[in-house]
Amino acid sequence: MPTHVVPLEACTADDRGLVGGKALGLGSLLREGLQVPPGFAVTTDAYRESVVWPGLQSEAVRLLDRCTTDEDRVRASEAIRAMFERAEMADTVATEIALAYRDLGGGRPVPVAVRSSATAEDLGEASFAGQQDTYLWIRGADEVVAAVRRCWGSLFTPQAIAYRAHFGIPTRDLAMAVVVQRMVDAVAAGVMITLDPVTGDPSQITIEASYGLGLAVVGGEVTPDRFAVDKVTYEIRARAINDKPFAYHFDPDRREVVARDVPEDDRTLPALTDAEIVALARLGRAVERAHRGAQDIEWAIGPGRNGEREIFLLQTRPETVWSRRPRAPIADPNEPILERMLRAMRQPLRLRDDGATSGGAVPAAEEEGAGTAH
Amino acid sequence: MVETVERTAEQRFPSPFEIATPAGAEGWQRMYPYYLLFSEENREWEDSMLWFQDGMHHPEVLYPFDTITHECWRVALGQYNTRVFSLPAYGIEQRVLNGYLYICAVPVSDPNTIPARIEVFLKRAGEYYGNWNHYFDEWKVKMTRVIDDLKGLGVPSLPRLEPERVVTEGLGKTAGYDLLAAYHRLIDSIFLAWQYHFEMLNLGYAAYLNLFMFAKQAFPGIKEETLAQMVAGADILFFRPDDELKKLAQLGLDLGIADRLRAPGKPEDIVASLRNDPVGAKWVEALEAAKDPWFYYSNGAGFYHHHRSWVDDMTVPWSAMLGYLDKLERGENINRPKEEVLERRERLTAEYRDLLPTDEDRATFDQNIGLARTVATYIEDHNFYVEHWYHTIFWNKVREFGDRLVEGDVLDDREDIFFLNRWEVGQALYDMVAGWASGAPTRGRRYWRKEVAERKRICSILAEAGPPVPALGPVPDEITEPFTVLLWGITTDRVKVWLGAGETTADNQLRGVPGSPGVAEGPARVVLTAAELDTIRDGEILVCPITAPSWGAVFGKIKAAVCDIGGIMSHAAIVCREYGLPAVVGTGTGTKKIRTGQRIRVDANVGLVTILD
Repeated sequence: MPTHVVPLEACTADDRGLVGGKALGLGSLLREGLQVPPGFAVTTDAYRESVVWPGLQSEAVRLLDRCTTDEDRVRASEAIRAMFERAEMADTVATEIALAYRDLGGGRPVPVAVRSSATAEDLGEASFAGQQDTYLWIRGADEVVAAVRRCWGSLFTPQAIAYRAHFGIPTRDLAMAVVVQRMVDAVAAGVMITLDPVTGDPSQITIEASYGLGLAVVGGEVTPDRFAVDKVTYEIRARAINDKPFAYHFDPDRREVVARDVPEDDRTLPALTDAEIVALARLGRAVERAHRGAQDIEWAIGPGRNGEREIFLLQTRPETVWSRRPRAPIADPNEPILERMLRAMRQPLRLRDDGATSGGAVPAAEEEGAGTAH
Repeated sequence: MVETVERTAEQRFPSPFEIATPAGAEGWQRMYPYYLLFSEENREWEDSMLWFQDGMHHPEVLYPFDTITHECWRVALGQYNTRVFSLPAYGIEQRVLNGYLYICAVPVSDPNTIPARIEVFLKRAGEYYGNWNHYFDEWKVKMTRVIDDLKGLGVPSLPRLEPERVVTEGLGKTAGYDLLAAYHRLIDSIFLAWQYHFEMLNLGYAAYLNLFMFAKQAFPGIKEETLAQMVAGADILFFRPDDELKKLAQLGLDLGIADRLRAPGKPEDIVASLRNDPVGAKWVEALEAAKDPWFYYSNGAGFYHHHRSWVDDMTVPWSAMLGYLDKLERGENINRPKEEVLERRERLTAEYRDLLPTDEDRATFDQNIGLARTVATYIEDHNFYVEHWYHTIFWNKVREFGDRLVEGDVLDDREDIFFLNRWEVGQALYDMVAGWASGAPTRGRRYWRKEVAERKRICSILAEAGPPVPALGPVPDEITEPFTVLLWGITTDRVKVWLGAGETTADNQLRGVPGSPGVAEGPARVVLTAAELDTIRDGEILVCPITAPSWGAVFGKIKAAVCDIGGIMSHAAIVCREYGLPAVVGTGTGTKKIRTGQRIRVDANVGLVTILD
């Protein structure tokens, strides 16, 4: 008996092939007791039943096999995605999605986000996730079903096709899971990295925040407020409050995301309260612990159950810049400690201002490079 | 007053030879031994070095006798670096300018000798680290013996006629000889105490430095203060005197004599009246037991003769004890949260360890933390033994020699002895003994009274003037003396601030070192001496030259502390962290800029003090 829909909180590592990485990432956050907008995963079984079995996938493979140039592939991509959107979804699948969606809103047509959830690391989720295959502010069961179909089709964007060609990933066995999740009507949103992206310091958390939906921060359209929080003591160690002239909001009348001016007086106020900054950092640490590695987290602050400001975690991915960098140990623990001590003692304290010296009561480190104190 | 130094092209502070003497203080140089003065003979070398005012240990004007404390550590610190443990750095040199102590780190003169020095260091330091607790146990025995010897030192009066037994027992010497010999023993004794003081200290700080350097590489953003918390123990001697007061308060409550303890009058008189009945006597017995050694506790840092101790004057501990009594009656818990401190230390350590990326780093971290914790007890406790326990006895012994000089008609007051330097006291005693022996009138009787009066005037002008500048001489590209940074808190930023090129601060702001985190706002209470401690009201912010750890009791009242002096490893900062109070230390001029009653904001997360009124 195939499973078509799985609530996010039930998505565990055993289900990776069924629900994909994003769904089980969100599932693990939920099981940690962290606040994540509720939702469900549309499984790879659903994909197979609706796409593979009716022959859509083999048709796609046939179209792609005929391509010789990039132009051919762009045309094939358009044809395939049009075919996906026209195709009927398996009845049972569509019904189950509609039921799960209705449960999500307690009967009301709540706005949701529809995103792909890759089933294997080698699909290179990071390289094309969060872009073409994300559909925001979708309302109503029919629209959700249509968004899922479009999401499936995004497996055949020109970038995805090129990516698979480059890494030699066969198309025939592809299957995609999709996450359907309630939207947060964000008053503030942003990103959080559970380290200092400049020095790689794993004892610091960096938060960037602006008003409204996270789009403005993720897209780099607004210089966000920036906060550094100590990961162990949760002190706010640094803050830069920037001018935030506009913010994205969902306009329910126009049913689309619009940019609005931020009132003059609010533009240079912090987008977050101190309590929220610290609460976010604590969440960041919890997520990092659960995922056993530095994380790159998207979050939003929106109305909670009673309309008060509440933090929601939208997405978490492994941090890639510092985490993938090979880390040489700072010292060799097998070297006698006195030898190491002598090096520490002979570390000069630079007194000239060369613009790169830290203000701590300890001399700057000698070596250049990753993770050293400058 | 600290003047702002103009930033010049080659970045240098004024030369010691350019500093003017404050009007009226001319001739201050003769109060100090020749070797403590900047001189023409040594000018070339002296002008080539960077000198800092030692605001950490000797922030106040130096009374002539009091230079003995830093003269002791000049030798002791230097010899262990240079001649014993053979560090890749030499010692700390000292000079007195306008009555204030300036110090400089001396680099190894020939870098080619460093490899050979390191070879010796590895062997000798290894011996101490490998047997640290053994050497520390021996150290305590040695140190206690120096203390006991000094306590037993007799300072005889000169009799009109020597007693009969000089003849019957064939002693062959007199009180005159014994007095001079006792003075020599006094000086030998403090030099020995300071030899011990530094026996393990430099190695201890080297272990701290080793951990700090590692942590700064692994966690560039880690705060020194957090690191210190990962190393500190909860049972350090510094908290013991305060703990004894808490016990006495509890005992007073248990015995039902709280109101008698609160009686108006001097503590000494209250104690006398308590002795009259069995219940009161029981409390006094406990007090006497606690006094030795825990009341040999300076209200200051112990480096100056006028930093009096609890045994000299019980006003400070008594008012603290009454404060605890009030709290106990209100049902408050006055015990230090020892378990919390230890729990926090273990939690911080585990969390940072957890954040390290490799197994090798975790292994190195464990070793570094382990060694730093091994040495921590010594670093924290040596200070009670020497600066508090020993020094309390020492300063009072010097006063006994002052009594002899008063008896010999050389001085008017025992305290006047501190206006003679240590060599001059030897001369005055010899002169007095010689006059006693020969029966002739001495010069000293006329000479020293006049000189003391003149020196009192000069010292008060120098005290009013304050250190002329925070630093002297050229700014080198870098300093490789490891302890300058760790012990004196000299950093690039500090030098920049001194040069007037650092972070700009508004007129109503002061910058210092964040000694203990937190933010507080409230009325300021400027306290210059321990005698003013009882003026502090609940909720005030203490503004003082240095937070003496013995002021333990005031930390229960105040909201925050601002100190002119101190760094992250100063004992003051340790106490503030223990009490969970925000503290900004090393502001330099807090007590001069802030007035009692002004509302101030202390942001100890960044080290900024703002005067709001």
